[in-house]
Amino acid sequence: MRLTALAILLGAALTTSPAAAAWHGYISHPLGFAFAAPGELKIEKGTYRGAVAGERPTLTYRFFENSIEYKAVVIDMTDIANDSATLLGEAEYLFQDNKKPRMDVFGRVDRQYGRKLTVDLPNNGGRMSGAFYFINGRIISLQATVLPQNGDYDTPQMARFVDSLTFFTVRAADDAIELPQAPK
Amino acid sequence: MRIWMSAALTGAALTLAVAPAEAAWKSYINRELGFSFRAPGEIKSDIGTFRGAVAGPRETIIYKSMDNNIEYKVTVMSFLQAQAEGATILGEREYMFQEGKKVLADTFGRVEPGKDAVYGRKIIAELPDHKGRTTAAFYFTKGKLIMLEATVLPANGDFGSPDPALFVDSIAFVLSRTEPDAIELATPKLE
Repeated sequence: MRLTALAILLGAALTTSPAAAAWHGYISHPLGFAFAAPGELKIEKGTYRGAVAGERPTLTYRFFENSIEYKAVVIDMTDIANDSATLLGEAEYLFQDNKKPRMDVFGRVDRQYGRKLTVDLPNNGGRMSGAFYFINGRIISLQATVLPQNGDYDTPQMARFVDSLTFFTVRAADDAIELPQAPK
Repeated sequence: MRIWMSAALTGAALTLAVAPAEAAWKSYINRELGFSFRAPGEIKSDIGTFRGAVAGPRETIIYKSMDNNIEYKVTVMSFLQAQAEGATILGEREYMFQEGKKVLADTFGRVEPGKDAVYGRKIIAELPDHKGRTTAAFYFTKGKLIMLEATVLPANGDFGSPDPALFVDSIAFVLSRTEPDAIELATPKLE
């Protein structure tokens, strides 16, 4: 009896899936948005390119948890914001270009209209959900990618991430962590 | 032989007489508003109103024609003071268009190539109560929201007609692309 119980406990310990990290609220008062994500925050600067947008600097808040990559991407378009509708459309188009679209629907967050898209990446590279909005001269895009190592392409975590976006500070979690500014 | 030929000619004449005469498609341009399009029938201009939660109350400029029980309509709204809100204003208009209708298609729209591209959306929706099918395209450029709608009415009945797509796809924003003999449209005065 003791041996059986020990074997069961040992088996359970061995088959336990990786511990899911807690989700935290994050907020950027200067950029005017908040969201929730699991895992450790990393910040990256990058470049976005579009035929209409040209080359634009990006700031990415990145998280990685259980083989799902979570990204909040901020693309600065302040000086060409008058072309916001086309700039947003171009970013959405580029997101799904050469990928297999699975969903393309209206997105609406706190008075802002945008779009939510889900695509399958080429070469069985995983599944990606993205939400795109244009606010205060910037494109704010939340993107979650389930990698093949995870394999659960219907996981609700992707939707949980992209739907956590808010542009009203009052809707952010009380204990939301202030997002750092871009590294110099 | 003569009788057979005569019967064939009479049949052809009757067919031509019975089928509704299709109006010629013409090219129209409004340089002040910055777009051109092609449409059949006689174009009439009008002024209308629109109200959106984000857009607020707006006067609209409308160009419309009717041919073979298909209604063609171009609606223009000015948002010169809210251009940076264009993405949300466009999204709201698209959302309001499809609300309460059965959406058959909702795809990217792109007019002009490369850096001149204007991105928008094209939506096909069935109207409630079997009132027809509307093909629409939505764009926001240079402070103006431009919407093209072609509605095939039940009296026409050919909901797979290529004419609505021909109409919404004829929009041009780079006016050098417009046919040189395009008819100039006057801009109605708003209050």
